[in-house]
Amino acid sequence: MLHEFSYLAPRERKDLLQLLKKHSSQARLLAGGTDLLCEIRLGTDRPEVLIDVKNIAEFRGIAFSEQDGLAVGAAVTCVELMEHPVVRKRFPLLAHAAGQIGSAQLRNRATIGGNLCTASPCADLGCSSLVLGARVELVSARGTRVIPMKDFFTGVKATQLKDDEAVQRVFYPVVAAGAKWGMEKLKRIKGHDLAVVSVAIARTTQWLRVGIGSCAPTPVVAADLPPNASVKAVTEAALKAIDPIDDVRASREFRLAMVQEFIAKLLPALS
Amino acid sequence: MFDNIPDSELKIVGKGVERIDTVEKLTGAALYTGDWVVPGMLHGKVKRSPHAKARIKRIDTSKAEKLAGVHAVLTGKELDYRVGLYLVDKHVLAKDVVRHFGEAVAAVAAETPAIAQQAVDLIQVEYEVMTPALEPKAAAQKGAPLVHPDLGKYDYVKAVFTPVPGTNIANHTKLRKGDVEKGFKEADKIIEREYTNPNVQHVPMETHVTIGQWMVGDRISIITSAQSPFTVRNLFAHSFGISHANIRVYIPYVGGGFGGKAGIHLEPLCCLLSRQAGGRPVKIQATREEEFSMLPCRSGLVYHIKTGVKKDGRIVAQKMTMYWDAGAYADYAVNVTRASGYSAAGPYEIPNAWVDAYTVYTNKPFGTAYRGFGHVEFSWGMERHMDLCARTIGMDPLKFRMLNALKPGSVSLTGEHITENTGNVRLCMQEVADSIGYGKLSAAEKAREKKTGMKIGKAVVALHKAPAMPPFTGTVVILKMNEDGTVTANLSLTEIGAGTYTSIVQIIAETLGFPVEKVRLPVENDTDRDPYDWQTVASKGLLLSGNAGILAAQDLLARAYEVAAQVLRANPCDLAHDDEKVYVAHHPEKAVSFKAMAVGYAYPDGNAIGGPLVGVGRYVAQGLSNLDKETGQGHPALDWTYGAHGIIVEAHPRTGEYNVIKVASAFDVGRAINTRSVRGQAIGGMLQGLGTAMCEGYRYAPDGRLLNPNFTDNKIPTSLDMPEEIDCIAVETPQIDGPFGCRGVGEHSMIAICGGLGNALQNAVGADLTHMPIRQEDVWRALQAPKKAGRK
Amino acid sequence: MKIHVKVNGKDYTREVAGNRTLLRFLREDLGLTGTKEGCGAGECGACTVILNGKTVNSCLVLAPEVDGGVIETVEGEAKNGKLSKLQEAFHRNHGVQCGFCTPGMLMSVKSLLKIHPKPTVAEIKEAIEGNFCRCTGYQQIIESVLDATGQLKPRKEEIRRVR
Ligand SMILES: Cc1cc2nc3c(=O)[nH]c(=O)nc-3n(C[C@H](O)[C@H](O)[C@H](O)COP(=O)(O)OP(=O)(O)OC[C@H]3O[C@@H](n4cnc5c(N)ncnc54)[C@H](O)[C@@H]3O)c2cc1C
Ligand code: FES
Ligand code: FES
Repeated sequence: MLHEFSYLAPRERKDLLQLLKKHSSQARLLAGGTDLLCEIRLGTDRPEVLIDVKNIAEFRGIAFSEQDGLAVGAAVTCVELMEHPVVRKRFPLLAHAAGQIGSAQLRNRATIGGNLCTASPCADLGCSSLVLGARVELVSARGTRVIPMKDFFTGVKATQLKDDEAVQRVFYPVVAAGAKWGMEKLKRIKGHDLAVVSVAIARTTQWLRVGIGSCAPTPVVAADLPPNASVKAVTEAALKAIDPIDDVRASREFRLAMVQEFIAKLLPALS
Repeated sequence: MFDNIPDSELKIVGKGVERIDTVEKLTGAALYTGDWVVPGMLHGKVKRSPHAKARIKRIDTSKAEKLAGVHAVLTGKELDYRVGLYLVDKHVLAKDVVRHFGEAVAAVAAETPAIAQQAVDLIQVEYEVMTPALEPKAAAQKGAPLVHPDLGKYDYVKAVFTPVPGTNIANHTKLRKGDVEKGFKEADKIIEREYTNPNVQHVPMETHVTIGQWMVGDRISIITSAQSPFTVRNLFAHSFGISHANIRVYIPYVGGGFGGKAGIHLEPLCCLLSRQAGGRPVKIQATREEEFSMLPCRSGLVYHIKTGVKKDGRIVAQKMTMYWDAGAYADYAVNVTRASGYSAAGPYEIPNAWVDAYTVYTNKPFGTAYRGFGHVEFSWGMERHMDLCARTIGMDPLKFRMLNALKPGSVSLTGEHITENTGNVRLCMQEVADSIGYGKLSAAEKAREKKTGMKIGKAVVALHKAPAMPPFTGTVVILKMNEDGTVTANLSLTEIGAGTYTSIVQIIAETLGFPVEKVRLPVENDTDRDPYDWQTVASKGLLLSGNAGILAAQDLLARAYEVAAQVLRANPCDLAHDDEKVYVAHHPEKAVSFKAMAVGYAYPDGNAIGGPLVGVGRYVAQGLSNLDKETGQGHPALDWTYGAHGIIVEAHPRTGEYNVIKVASAFDVGRAINTRSVRGQAIGGMLQGLGTAMCEGYRYAPDGRLLNPNFTDNKIPTSLDMPEEIDCIAVETPQIDGPFGCRGVGEHSMIAICGGLGNALQNAVGADLTHMPIRQEDVWRALQAPKKAGRK
Repeated sequence: MKIHVKVNGKDYTREVAGNRTLLRFLREDLGLTGTKEGCGAGECGACTVILNGKTVNSCLVLAPEVDGGVIETVEGEAKNGKLSKLQEAFHRNHGVQCGFCTPGMLMSVKSLLKIHPKPTVAEIKEAIEGNFCRCTGYQQIIESVLDATGQLKPRKEEIRRVR
C-alpha cells in the first residue's frame, strides 16, 4: 500500500527548486522510484509530496568533453549509461556497474541520482563512482555546489543533501587512455541481488584506487595508491577503509575474506 | 488399470499433448481470485504481531472503529473459534497471547484497501514481550516453557496422532522394525550425525487471497486461492458448526500452491469480518511479506541419524530421531511428522529400524504441507548421511546405495513387501549415473577444471515418496455429455499449475476413444457443482482421479450403449463406437450418433428413451491401513514413486563459489501420461529443490523476529540460477492399479536435490556440510574448518 | 490528476490519485487484470508491462508518471482472436504452468525479441532474470522462446523413457 501523497511534475528547473524549497523535508524527489516507492510501500518513509525530476532537461542527458570529462544527469537511467557509446568506451567501469543493478525492468527505471542519493552501502554505482573520482553537483534555490563523491556519503543511507537540495549531475574526470579497471560483485544467487560485497579497482599511470561496497556504513574508497601497488598493499589499504558488520546477508568475517579474494583476483588481471 | 496396454496402441496417453488451460493464461483472460470483484465487496487488512511471543495486554480499536468507511473491526477477544486440520489449536485471531512473529492479532474490513490499512494502523496493541522458544530440540525437552499450555484440551484425530500434553510435543510418531540394538551389535561401524534445515517459504507467485461472505441464515460463500475446496468446506463446517450444505467454496485459477494452500487459511477471517460487516463480502489479499510470516511455511527439521553398517556395505540397523520445528501451530506438521516418519530412511532397506519423530511447537511462523511433505527436508540429512556411511567404510557411495536400495523382496519400514511392480529405484540411479558420467571426469571436464581453477564433483542420490493421505481417500469424476456429443467433466481436484487436468483429459479421451478437443474439464472448482475430492496434495491426484476418470468414461459409454442397443435393436456386446457414433460391430452402417443420444434419444414421433447421458466414476484407495501407534507397522502407501538425481557441480577450493553444471533426474512414473508435463514437473521441482538447497530459508533475530520476510533477503532461483544442463528420464515400471499404469510425480523432483548438491560439493572440494541451505559463505566456512583444525 | 494513456492501442483518459501505481491503474481503473502483482516491490516481475517501448515493473511506477505514455500489456498480445506466434509457442511447449508469471514473462520476452529477433539461450535467460517463475524451472519457457524464433531443434521425445 502506498499512503496518500501528492505527485508534482515540474517542467522547469527553477520550478523544481522552488517546490523543493517550499515543501522541504515533506518532499522527496522521485526519479525511477525503485528505492523510494519501496520505502513508501513499507512505511519507512512517508513524504507528503513527490516531485518528479524526470522532466527537467538539466537532469537528463550525458555530456562529454576531453576538457571537462563526463557529466551525467541525475535522472539518467542505468540502461542509458550502459548503452551510451562514450560511457562504454571511456568509462567502461561505470557502464559495467550500471549493468549490475537489478533486473532489466529495473535498469530501465533506476537512475544514477537515485542510486547515489539512496546512499545504500551496497549501491553499485557508489563504489565505482568513488573509484572514478566522481563529483556531485548539488543544486537548490540558494545556488549550486559541487562536492567530491567521497564527502557526499555521510552514513548509512545519509548524504550531504539538504532538504531543499537536489543532485543535478554527476561529474567524472577524464580517465587517461590505457587505464585499467575491474569490478567484482558478490551475490547470493546468480540472478539479480544486492551486493553482499563489491570491489571495484581502477588503475591509471598515476594512481591505483580500490573502492568497496557493503563493507562499511557507506560505499568507500581507499586512499590513492601508486599504480604498481602490490596485492598486499592494496589489501591493507582496503581493509583499513572498511569495517563490515554481520547481517542477514553475510558475516563480517566472510566479507573481509571476500574483499581480499576479490583484490587478489582483480589486481593481476589489470596488468 | 490399463497398465499393460502397449504404447503403440495408445493415441493420446503418452504424448506431449498441449495443456488445456494455457490459452486463458496466455491472454490474461484467466481469472485468479485476486482478479475477482464481487458486488458490495469490502477489503480486509490485518494487524500483525511484531513479536515472536508476547501476552496481549490491551488492544484499543476505538480509533479504527470510528474511521469513516470502516465496516468491521475484529480482535481475538470477541472470537471463540479454533481451527485446525488434525489438531485444533489455532484461533482465527490471536487470543491473549501471540505465538509467532507476523501472527494476525486484529483485522479490519473497509470500503477501500487504503481505509482498511489506515484503520489497522490506528489499532493500538500493548504487549508484554516474553522469551520465545526457537530451538525445537530444546523446546521438546520436559520442563521447557510451553507454547500451548492447553494442548491436553485440544481436539485431534485420535486414530493417527499422539500429542504429549504438558510438553511442546504436538505429535510423537513411533516406528519399530526388527531389533535395532541387536543390529548395532552386529555392525562393524556405527555412524552417527545430526542434520538441520530451516523454515522455507513455498513462494507461489500468487499470494494467498480470499473473498469470504457470511450471509444472514449462516450461508457461506467463499472464493479463494486454495488447493482443496472440500477441505476448506469441511474444516469451516467443523470450526463454526455450520452444515456443509450451507457452505459454497469456489476456486478460480490458482497461481501456484506447492502445499501452502492445501489447508484452510484466510477463509475463516474473511467470513468473520463479513459477518461483522452485515454480510458484505470481504477480500483479503496477503502481501508478500504476509505470505512469509502470517501464512504458513515449511517446518524446520533437526534430524539425528545413527546407522550400523557391515564392512561389506550392508546397513544392519538405523535409529532415526526427528525434531520437526512446527512453529506456533500444528497444521500439517503433525502429518508431515507421521509421513516422513515412515519414509525416514529413504528408498533403502533397513532390517532393524527405530524412528522417533516429534512435532515440536516453537514460537516461529508455523509449518504446513510443502511439495515433498517432509521428504525434501529429511532427504537432506539422509542422503548426506548415506555418503558419510559409504566414506566411512571406504565404499563408493553409488555402490553403497545400490546395495542397500529397496528391491523386489525387500521389506519397507512399515512392513510392506516390495514387488516387481513397486518401481525400480536402482534403474533410476543407474540412468542418472550414466547421464552425468558418474565416477570419473571426462577430458572436457578436466580441461574445464584447469581453465577455471574450480574443482568438479559428482553425486547420485535417490528418493522415494508415497502419498501421505488417509487410507480411505476417495474421489469422483462425473462426465456429462453435451448436446453436440462433446463431454464436460467435473471433479474437485484443483489445477494449481501441475498440469494434472490435461493428463486427466487425456485419460478420459483415450478411454472414450474421443479426441482431446471433445473433452472439456473446466479449471474452476465449485463445491456446489463438483463432486467430492479430498485434497489436491500428496501427488495422489492423477492416480485417484485418473482411475475415477476411466471409470466415469466406461460408465458413460455403458449408458450410451444401453440406449444404442435399444435404438439399433442389437445386443450391447455387439456394439462398437468411434468419436461420433455407436454402431453394430458387424454392420457399421447401423449406427446412432452420440449427438442423437446426448440428452435423451427421441424417435421421429417424439417418443424418447434414455435421458441425458452422464457417467460417474468413483474410486477409493484400496487396502491401506492406519499405522500401529507403537510400532508404525501397517500399509500407508497407495504407490511409491522412486527417483534419483545425478548432479555435477564445480566449486572453488578457497572461496566456496560454486556452479551447478548438470542435473539429471529420473523418476519411475509407471507411465508418462503427458511427456511434456512430466518434464515440466521434473524440471520445475528440481529448480525449486535447488532453491531450497542453495539460497532459501528463514533467518531469525535472537528475539524471534523474522529477518527476511521478502524477496530482498529470501532469494529464489531465477533463470540465471538454472543448471547449465538438464536431463530428464522417465523410468516406466507400470503401477498395476494406476490409470494406464502411471504414478504421481508432482513432488518427487524436489526431493533429495539438496543432499545431492551437498554430496557433489563435498566430492568437489571437501566441504562437509550438515545444514542447508548451502550458501557460498557456508561452503567457504566449511573449507576453513579443516585449516583451523590443522593449525591447532 | 487527469492522465491520458494509450494501452494496447486504445486511448484512455482517467482521473488518478498521486499514489496510484500503474499496476493498480491497469487492473482496477482499466479492468485489465491480466497483469499480476507478485510482490509489489520490484523483485518478481509479475507486473511487467512495456512502457514507451521498455519493460518496467508496473508496481513501481506511478500512474501519473505515465501521462501521455504508450503501454503494452498481455491483453494486447493476441490479435483478432488469435494467439500471437509467441503465445502459440508457449502453448505448444508447456511454457505455462500456473500462469501467474506468464503475462509479465510474455512482456519481457516480447521486448527482448524486438532487439534480438533470434536470441541465444544466454540472452533469453538475461532478459527474464527479473521474472520469477516458481513452477516451470524456466526450461520450457526458454524452449518456447526458441520455438517462437525458429530455433528449437526438433526432438523426438520430450523425455527419455526407459522400461
Ligand atoms: C528489486 C530491486 C533490486 C535492486 N537491485 C539493486 C542492485 O543490484 N544494486 C543497486 O545498487 N541497487 C539496487 N536496487 C536499488 C535501486 O534500484 C537503485 O538504488 C536505483 O538506482 C535507485 O534509483 P531510482 O531512480 O529508482 O531512485 P528513486 O527511488 O527515485 O530515488 C531514490 C532516493 O533518491 C532520491 N533522489 C532521486 N533522485 C534525486 C536527485 N536528483 N537529487 C536528490 N535526491 C534524489 C529520492 O528522493 C529517494 O530518496 C534495487 C532495487 C530493487 C527494488
Ligand atoms: S509485483 Fe512488481 S515486481 Fe513483483
Ligand atoms: S507458471 Fe507458475 S509462476 Fe510461472
